[in-house]
Amino acid sequence: MIEYLKDVWTARYFWTHLTMSDLRSRWRRSFFGMFWSVIQPLGLTLLVSFVFSRIFKIDFTSYAPYILSGLIVWEFSVTCVVGGSLSFVQADAYIKQCRHPLAIYSLRTMLTALLVLIMATGPLFVWAVIAMPQNFGITWLATVLIFPILALIMWPLATLLAYIGVRFRDLPPALSLVMQALYFVSPVYFETSMFRRGGLDALVDYNPLYHVLQILRAPLLEGQFPTLNNFLYSLGTALIFTLLACLAGRKVEKEVIFYL
Amino acid sequence: MNINHISLSNVNLHYVAAAYKERSLKSLVSKVLVSKKNRQVVADIHALKNISIEITNGERVGLLGRNGAGKSTLLKTIAGLYPISSGNLIVQGKVRSLLNLSLGFEPDATGRENIFYRGLLLGLSPFVMRKKESEIVEFADLGEFIDYPIKTYSAGMMVRLAFAITTSVGGDVLLLDEIIGAGDANFMTKAKQRIASLIEKSEILVLASHDLVTMSALCQRGVVLNHGELIYDGPISSAIEYYKCNES
Repeated sequence: MIEYLKDVWTARYFWTHLTMSDLRSRWRRSFFGMFWSVIQPLGLTLLVSFVFSRIFKIDFTSYAPYILSGLIVWEFSVTCVVGGSLSFVQADAYIKQCRHPLAIYSLRTMLTALLVLIMATGPLFVWAVIAMPQNFGITWLATVLIFPILALIMWPLATLLAYIGVRFRDLPPALSLVMQALYFVSPVYFETSMFRRGGLDALVDYNPLYHVLQILRAPLLEGQFPTLNNFLYSLGTALIFTLLACLAGRKVEKEVIFYL
Repeated sequence: MNINHISLSNVNLHYVAAAYKERSLKSLVSKVLVSKKNRQVVADIHALKNISIEITNGERVGLLGRNGAGKSTLLKTIAGLYPISSGNLIVQGKVRSLLNLSLGFEPDATGRENIFYRGLLLGLSPFVMRKKESEIVEFADLGEFIDYPIKTYSAGMMVRLAFAITTSVGGDVLLLDEIIGAGDANFMTKAKQRIASLIEKSEILVLASHDLVTMSALCQRGVVLNHGELIYDGPISSAIEYYKCNES
């Protein structure tokens, strides 16, 4: 395990290059370029929160950042899960050519998504400062923790799915379906209070996504520190995925090349 | 002491047949449902059979054999890409391989950028690559094409670039597969000089090719493979002789 991570570190120039070239090629020849990663979620948020705030009779200015935070973190998760399951398949040219630890390819998928996420949080902070200046304070420092925590959860998960995705190419479409289902039972758009009123507390309390989102939402929207429970749930999820990815990797890492 | 060497003893390699038959969830499920009698048996492909070979410092080895004899598989095994199913494989020294040309090049990026990218792929730092760039550009000798996207290159130009990069980044074991023939005569002379200088630095070269002339010029030892078995190992001239007799 330590040996493996060392190899990942040795290849750092390579995967940072892959990540950057992913970002570059993504916005090549477009006018707004990387600003699209900011504009896209922001536009969708305005639209959705306008409609939802009318339907649910909630205050637009405070509801919009709730949706925006949910939306960008959700987008990140979907990219990591669905894109992650394709990481090895996409990198077949490199895998057949050079022996690097395979996890660098899922790391690249995750990092690309993470950088997009970081850019997209910009307007969220701006909005929160303008709409809810009373929340601004020391608690905001805690929000930065969401990035490493998401990375710790999603890198092993993407790696695990990539191992499976190499063998079963049905995985990506199946995963998009699963993610769609999870989306409806997670507090992405709908406020947690709506779940609780419906007696669906379990969907919130045992949902790792809720706890991760709280790291961002509690400081920005409520001016409070995320609870210890939030962190424990998030890190626990990361630990479980890491163990699973290690188990899978130990068995199949070497055979992946046969399936490409 | 760190002497470069490659040592294989009784190495066997099987391609996992499951990779070819169970392409999807559907076939996995249907496999469970279909009765045992009707099941088609796809056996694992035994690609390398009991290969034992020792290659030491400064040797230049040519791999001979028909298509599908296991030349590329052997190279990829030495490169550590394929997991062996039994036997012992020891490779001492840093491996540089040139196994498949087009792989790992970014078609939209220029030749110069690709030098950089490929260097990173091989595990070098951006700092080192910047220093080596001019040397590589000079050796590849592509003129103004070095600043054109790779997708405009001919096969020969690609070979020159790839060869220039792989041989300049330094390593102890150089593995070349089938590519050397694509360069023109002028480049071949340079390539031969380059390989000769690699040997002086006591590096190992393993080359697989069907180009017997190049082979006899570059290598001193020949290994003939047939259906995954090693059938001859000796000086290159007699290996080529053996291979020709065997072929007809």
